[in-house]
Amino acid sequence: MTDLEDLRQSIIEGDMKSTTSLVESALADGLEPGTILNDGMIAAMTEVGRRFEEGEYFVPEMLIAARAMQAGLKILKPKLVDSGTKPLGTVAIGTVKGDLHDIGKSLVAMMLEGAGFEIMDLGVDVPPEKFVEAIRGGAQVIAMSALLTTTMPNMKATVEAVKQAGLRDQSVIVIGGAPVTQAYANEIGADAYAPDASAAVRVTRSLIS
Amino acid sequence: MTIATTTMTSKQRMLAALDGRLPDRLPVTTHHLMPYFLDKYMNGMSDQAFFDYFDMDAYVWTVPHRHDPSQGEYPDPEQGEIGFLESRRVSTDDWRVYWEELPGYEYQTVRYRFVTPKGTLSMVIQSNEHTAWVAEYLIKNKRDIDLLGEYMTAPKCDVEAVNRTAEEFGERGLVRGHICCFDVFGQPGCWQDAACLMKVEDLIFATYDDPEWVHELLKILQRRKMIYIQSLQGARFDIHELGGGSASSTVISPKIFEKFVAPYDKELIAAAHQAGQRITYHTCGGMMPLLELIADMGPDAMETFTPPGMGADVNLAEAKRRIGDRVCMIGGFDQFHYLIDCAPEDTRAEVRRCFEEAGANGRYILSPSDHFFDADPELIRAFADEARKCAYR
Repeated sequence: MTDLEDLRQSIIEGDMKSTTSLVESALADGLEPGTILNDGMIAAMTEVGRRFEEGEYFVPEMLIAARAMQAGLKILKPKLVDSGTKPLGTVAIGTVKGDLHDIGKSLVAMMLEGAGFEIMDLGVDVPPEKFVEAIRGGAQVIAMSALLTTTMPNMKATVEAVKQAGLRDQSVIVIGGAPVTQAYANEIGADAYAPDASAAVRVTRSLIS
Repeated sequence: MTIATTTMTSKQRMLAALDGRLPDRLPVTTHHLMPYFLDKYMNGMSDQAFFDYFDMDAYVWTVPHRHDPSQGEYPDPEQGEIGFLESRRVSTDDWRVYWEELPGYEYQTVRYRFVTPKGTLSMVIQSNEHTAWVAEYLIKNKRDIDLLGEYMTAPKCDVEAVNRTAEEFGERGLVRGHICCFDVFGQPGCWQDAACLMKVEDLIFATYDDPEWVHELLKILQRRKMIYIQSLQGARFDIHELGGGSASSTVISPKIFEKFVAPYDKELIAAAHQAGQRITYHTCGGMMPLLELIADMGPDAMETFTPPGMGADVNLAEAKRRIGDRVCMIGGFDQFHYLIDCAPEDTRAEVRRCFEEAGANGRYILSPSDHFFDADPELIRAFADEARKCAYR
């Protein structure tokens, strides 16, 4: 019988091969896909987030853990669909118009996916109208990143575009990135500010629930 | 705080800080002045006019490259006018760089092709009025690095040109350069240069999946930089920048720094010292978990000490306590919040904070934490004025 503790450890250590084989054997052993996801994979990523927040893990450790998680999810996803397991919510994530930085955005996307969210990765240099389209396409959360002071105003432009489209009450807006602060989130009317990928998971989870 | 009696020239003042002697007052300068800022806020003023206008301690940036005809090298005939922070590229018949502007993009988009006898490499660079970035990375297959190793040219320093600049600049301030970067787009540090040739996430993954390949790449880049550094003998530079982006603790871990950054850049620093040169190690982003690792490489100075308010993590007082007696610290000032949209009193208070936390016993040069695009000239005036009041004698 597959021990979910082994699965958790393989993700925490970023061991992609071991993660995929443990997910396969857990399914072969008849474990519920939802149980594998929640008690194995999401629990592992929660631990990874904790270690990051405590300074024990850095971005590389999070990246390889998220990569292992994604490898496992690739096998698990069709089974989750078959079993009717729903994601926590859908997050449309992107780096705002004019900004080409993507490592932070990609890491947040991977961590959110690892926490059980469905991800619509809009990429970098994303204009406000694409975020609006994403809400129309089913995203409940807009997650925006900016690494330059010169591109931060496009976060405000996106919030305004969402308002103008009449979709503000249908979406939660979370922002982050090096120059971004809680004060800026308040100023532009975002729902939350996340200083790092782990915090992004925490605040998104709390806003969605 | 007392009014400083100026007894040193800008050059003497900054050299005192770099060399661990006590300056007359807090040296105050800035990092690269971005053309966007100078055009938008200073009516297109030159760098040197900027330093004079605000009575700041000046730098002059120069990185003149020289080719070696005895090795079949010649100046890249395809390179146009030398742009901001660019240097003259060195070609051979086996390493030719061609470029073409690609139409139909929102941003200026240029494809560069590096033609060698065994194949062609290419990368795409985009730019806007603020900055430039890689839109398509050069390393597409692992063995692409073989072409770099075999054919990539290494520039040498044009010592005479540097010394002419140093002579002309005199006591106005420091002559600053940087260790050569990859042709067309790169960074001075070996790891940081590699992160311009492939996506940094993929480089990080490669440190886990194929560390020997990463070392192979870093050795190729280091070899080229070493040739440049060995050519610096006799050049009257005051300081060179090494490091760059993508090696902060907001991107990599101390473990990766120890294994893939420090071994290569430490050797470059030692070689620079042998060539009679000083090094400042530049880190954009988080530094606190890396402070000792950076200082252990032996640089003369470290920068940028970016504070938490700008998305990094530096506690200036703690940094001073941990490494302040080993290296000169440059930076620490929060330009996002105190060079724009604040009262001059706030700017002055931020200057005093920096001086109080990092200024004790010298070995500190006040500077914004890296470059900036937007800043209010009146606040820059307050920044410089308050710094000039921070006296040591």
